[in-house]
Amino acid sequence: MRAFGKTRFIRHSGLALVLAGVALLVFALASLTWGDVRLGPGQLVDGLLGCDEFAATILWQIRLPRLLTGMLVGAALSGSGLVMQVYFNNSLASPGLLGVSAGSAAGAVVAIGSGLATFTLLTVPIFAIAGALAATFGVILLARRGASTERLLLAGVAINALLGAVTSYVLSAPTVSYERNAQLVFWLIGGLEDRTWEHIWMAAPIVPAVLLLLPMGRSMDLLSLGATEAQSLGVDVPRLRRNLLGLSTILTALATAVAGTVGFVGLIVPHILRLLVGSEHRRLVPLSLIGGAAFVVGCDLLGRCAGGARLGVVTSLVGAPFFLWLLRRAER
Amino acid sequence: MSRAALSLREVTVPGRLHPVSMELPPGLVVGLVGPNGSGKSTLLAVSAGLLPGVGREQNDVRWNGQAVATIPALDRGRRASWTPAEARFEFGFTVRSVVAQGRYAHGDDGAGVEEALARLDLVALAERPVNRLSGGERQRVLLARALATAAPLQLWDEPLAPLDPRHGLEVLSLARSLSRAGGTVVFSLHDLRLAQELDFVVLLEGGRLRAAGAPAEVLTPKRVRAVFGVESCLRPSLCLSLP
Repeated sequence: MRAFGKTRFIRHSGLALVLAGVALLVFALASLTWGDVRLGPGQLVDGLLGCDEFAATILWQIRLPRLLTGMLVGAALSGSGLVMQVYFNNSLASPGLLGVSAGSAAGAVVAIGSGLATFTLLTVPIFAIAGALAATFGVILLARRGASTERLLLAGVAINALLGAVTSYVLSAPTVSYERNAQLVFWLIGGLEDRTWEHIWMAAPIVPAVLLLLPMGRSMDLLSLGATEAQSLGVDVPRLRRNLLGLSTILTALATAVAGTVGFVGLIVPHILRLLVGSEHRRLVPLSLIGGAAFVVGCDLLGRCAGGARLGVVTSLVGAPFFLWLLRRAER
Repeated sequence: MSRAALSLREVTVPGRLHPVSMELPPGLVVGLVGPNGSGKSTLLAVSAGLLPGVGREQNDVRWNGQAVATIPALDRGRRASWTPAEARFEFGFTVRSVVAQGRYAHGDDGAGVEEALARLDLVALAERPVNRLSGGERQRVLLARALATAAPLQLWDEPLAPLDPRHGLEVLSLARSLSRAGGTVVFSLHDLRLAQELDFVVLLEGGRLRAAGAPAEVLTPKRVRAVFGVESCLRPSLCLSLP
């Protein structure tokens, strides 16, 4: 809370949106053209249109699914973090720190490890959502709204440990085959490698969830200045809170189901944007979605340039120092 | 039954408010007085429909004869406005955007916001972040937001406490002009001399309604001594008013 928006550098909300959009576009183009096989602008257009068969295969089978998954995951995690910060009235709330990501991961690991995931595409997301819901309710039980940062983070530590144990159990269970285990570990680190159109369909519900979030900016503004005041001004606070919690949980679960645990996105992106444009959620909601997508695609690029470091590794390397800086700042 | 702007029937809040019943006709400026902890804030919050249990059988709060529990949240935002005694803004919203929040229930952004800013002397502060204002300035932001709602029933919790004399008088004159336009303004205060000049006074003690009516009938020396433990008498003294 204390760390919230002291100054804002960009007063024009249109400008901020344009900048975020341009960043996303640049990263997206780079993501499509860079790789083991470099594609020129001409090849890119030909490939996308299907004129150049070689380029088309690379783009449509490998790079586009990777890019789209990254965008969906980034928007979902960033939006989810922003919503959690409003809900808990604490700027350090985010899916990773509160254990919601760990809950989704535990759910997904159970689905994959038990072999249920082979039956239908929906199994992993459904299990991930169930795990995320369990984690969310756990956090709410341990730390109520407006709880101190310490309490909230400690609740997150407890939930993370508990659900991490579930994940570890599945990984160490003798019934899980070696191949499946390798697949699980790879998936747990979080990354966008080998994503297919199937994964995009799996993550597709992120789009309607995000669209539901867009018009809620104004009521989020009112809620963030006090629940009682918001209620008196006409916000149906209990309903708004239910919706916010449901949406943020589902967004995190879906993102985790397709990309594994990718940390710190929901913490960093809303924070930086708040510093840039101020605290108004009507502006922050769309910006966080675009900014989150740009951030994840950018981190993925960075990892690819750094010899194939996975997305989850890059976001943690960038995010953990940033988190420590925020903690120091909040103390002052 | 008359169309009271606000009516409470046997309203109870465990530990804070014993059964309280009262009816306030529209078009009045109502002062809510009582010692610390007598239930003034609770009464205001209950009247605004903001405490759980409001609208249950034992908590019958009505606006214009309509039970608050049956009014959808959005409509409530247009029909009554409430301000807390102390404003804590933890986000750096600008003054103007906080005042514009009063328009939430109307679904528009701007209507009446500039007027509300001007009325509470906030024009010069309009672009300042609310978390960097003084206590009195924050109170004026809350009142401007309440004004922007254009709600006919205004419930203010100790609006005058942090204000300087000039702004206090301006808020009082604002309350009077709202009531002249048919609205009802209920606010809590500790200044019994000021309460003496309002249209109607409600006296609370220990969560119970001691008296309600015209100030001269409610604030008798005998009752003031019994409730507040102070002696009172009427005599000419320094009177402040807007030039």
